[in-house]
Amino acid sequence: MKKIAVCYKWVLNDADIRVNEKSRELDLEKSKPQINEYDRNGLETGVKLKALFPEAELVGVTCGPDVEPSTKDALSRGPDTVYFLNDAALAEADSTTTSKVLAGIVRHLGNVDVVICSEGSSDVYAQQNGPRLAALLGYPSVSYVSAVSVDGDVLTLDRKLEQGTETVTVKAPVVISVSPDVCDAPIPSVKQILGAKKKPAHALTLADAGLSADAVKPLITVNSVKAPLSSRKAVNLGEDVPEAVAKLVKQLAGEGLL
Amino acid sequence: MFLTEDQKLIQNMAREFAEKEVAPIAADIDKNHRFPAETAKKMGELGLLGLTIPEEYEGAGGDTVSYSLAVEELARVCATHSVIISAHVSLGAAPILKFGTDEQKKKYLPDLASGRKLSAFCLTEPGAGTDAASQKSEAVLKGDNYIINGSKVFITNGAYAETFIYFAMTDKSKGLKGISAFIVEKGFPGFSVGQVEDKLGICGSSTTEIILKDCAVPKANLLGKEGEGFKVAMQTLDGGRIGIASQAVGIAQGALEAAITYAKQRVQFGKPISANQGLQWMLADMATRTEAARQLTRHAALAKDTQPRFGLEAAQAKLFAAEAAMWVTTKAVQVHGGIGYTRSYPVERFMRDAKITEIYEGTSEVQRMVIAGNILA
Repeated sequence: MKKIAVCYKWVLNDADIRVNEKSRELDLEKSKPQINEYDRNGLETGVKLKALFPEAELVGVTCGPDVEPSTKDALSRGPDTVYFLNDAALAEADSTTTSKVLAGIVRHLGNVDVVICSEGSSDVYAQQNGPRLAALLGYPSVSYVSAVSVDGDVLTLDRKLEQGTETVTVKAPVVISVSPDVCDAPIPSVKQILGAKKKPAHALTLADAGLSADAVKPLITVNSVKAPLSSRKAVNLGEDVPEAVAKLVKQLAGEGLL
Repeated sequence: MFLTEDQKLIQNMAREFAEKEVAPIAADIDKNHRFPAETAKKMGELGLLGLTIPEEYEGAGGDTVSYSLAVEELARVCATHSVIISAHVSLGAAPILKFGTDEQKKKYLPDLASGRKLSAFCLTEPGAGTDAASQKSEAVLKGDNYIINGSKVFITNGAYAETFIYFAMTDKSKGLKGISAFIVEKGFPGFSVGQVEDKLGICGSSTTEIILKDCAVPKANLLGKEGEGFKVAMQTLDGGRIGIASQAVGIAQGALEAAITYAKQRVQFGKPISANQGLQWMLADMATRTEAARQLTRHAALAKDTQPRFGLEAAQAKLFAAEAAMWVTTKAVQVHGGIGYTRSYPVERFMRDAKITEIYEGTSEVQRMVIAGNILA
C-alpha cells in the first residue's frame, strides 16, 4: 500500500449556529469553521492504516469555497500532506459536484490505494460522497465501516448495519466510508499543532482536477434553510411538588400521552 | 488582540480537551477534594505541561500567548486544572529554563516538559509570605552538599510533584541578598510532604506543606548563583502572574457564560430574567470587565514573548484580572439567585475559585506595590 487519501470537509461548528426565533432562519455569524467531527475519525483511520504501512503516504483531501485555513488543522491530525481545492464556485456545491471534485483530486494524486470518507458531514449529512466517489473512480465502495484490518492489499472490514455486523473483504483500490465508532479521534497535541507548519499543503485548481467551471455547477438549488418549529406550552404547575406531579400526570393522561 | 493560526489551533485544542475531558469531572474533584491525576497525565501527553519549553528539552516550543490561551480555556471549566499547569510551567519549569545550567536543563526539563513529572515552587513560609526575606529555611554548604532545614506552606502540586524549586537563606545577614534557590527532588533524604490544606476553592489541586529536615541537596542543584534566590523568585513570579491572570480570565468567562445561559432560561413574571434591563446591564458589565482583563492578560503574555522586562504588564494583568474574576463570579451567583448559592450550578465554585487569584503569586496589594514601583521609578 503506497498512498492513502482521507477526504474531509471544512464545516461550520453547528454548536454555535443560532436560530432566529421569528424567521426561523439560521444565524451563522458566531459559528466558526472546523473539520467535520466525523471526518476526524476518518483521518485517524488513515493514521492507523499508515502505521501498518510506514512507507505509504497519507494525504488529506478537501475542497470548498474557503478551505485553505483548514490545512494546518488537518495536518495536525496526522496526514503527511494535504491537497486542497479552493474555488468560490464550490460555495453551493451539492453531493454530485463535491464527489466530482474529490474524484478529480484523487485522480490527480494518482495510484491511491484506499480513499477514506466518513459516513456524513455535520452540516448536511447527505451520506453520498463515499459511494459517489467510488462510482466515479471505478473503485468498489464499502460503507458503514466500523473496523478495519489489512493483509497486504486486502482489507477486511466490519460494516455496522441495523440488523447486525457484516464482515467483508475487498482488494485495494477501494473507497471506504467509516462510521464514528471506527476509532476514537484523539485531540492533537501542542507539538502536532506546531509541527503542522513543517508539512506541505498543495493548492489545486479545477483544471488540476480535470474539471471546467461548468462541470461544478450544482444540480440542486437550495432556496432556503429554516429550523423546525418547536413550541412549548410553558405551563406553570406551581411549587408544591406532590401537587405539581398530580397535575402533570392528569394533564398528560388527558392528552392521551400516558 | 489578533491571534495567529497556531495560537487559535492551540486555543481550540485546549477548549476541546477542557470540554470533553475536564468538564465532566470538575464538580466531582471540587466536591471530593480529589487531585485529577488521570487528566493531569493527559495534559502532559497533549503537551500542555511543556507548552513553553523548547523542543530540545521535549517541550512543545510554544509562545506565552498560546500558554495563556490554554490556561484560560482550562480555567473556563475548572480552575484546578489551570493551576496545575500554571504552577508547573511558570513556577516549576520556567526558573530551570531561565536560570539553570546546561546540565540542570538536560537533567530536569525533559521529564517536566513531557509531564512525566510534575513540579512545584516553594517560597512561602508561615512567617514569610509577602515578606520573603523573613524566611527561616536555611541552607548550609557542607562538602559537596547543601544541608537544608526548613518548611514551606501553601505549595501547589505539593503531594504530586517530584521536582521542587526551594528557596532558603544561605547568608541570613544579607537579607534578600542572602536567599538562594535550589532544585530539590522528592527522593532526597530528609524530604517530606507535611499538612495537606483544606481550602475554600481550587479544591482539586494539591496544596501542602513541604518539609526539609537535614536534607542533603547536591551543590550542583544550586539554581543560579548563591544569593540570587530573590531575583530568581521575583522574575519567576513575573511569569507566573501571567498564568494566574489567564486563570482569572477563564474563571470569569466560565461564570459569565453560565450567567448568560441561566438568565435566558430562567422565567419570572412571565418572561426570561434576561429581558430585564437591570440584568442586562449587570451582564454587560460582567462581559466588559472579562474582556478588559483578557486584553490586559494577552498584552502581558505578548510582552513576555517580545520584551526583556514585563513585570509591570504582568502585575497589571494579574491585578485587574483577579479583581474582575472576583467581581464577575459574585455577580454570576447573584444572577442565579438562590440556586446559585448551591452546588446545583457551577457559579458558586467559580466564585470560590476566583478568590485565590487575588491572593496567590502576590496579593492584589503586592501587585499595586509592583505597579507603583514601576511607574514611580
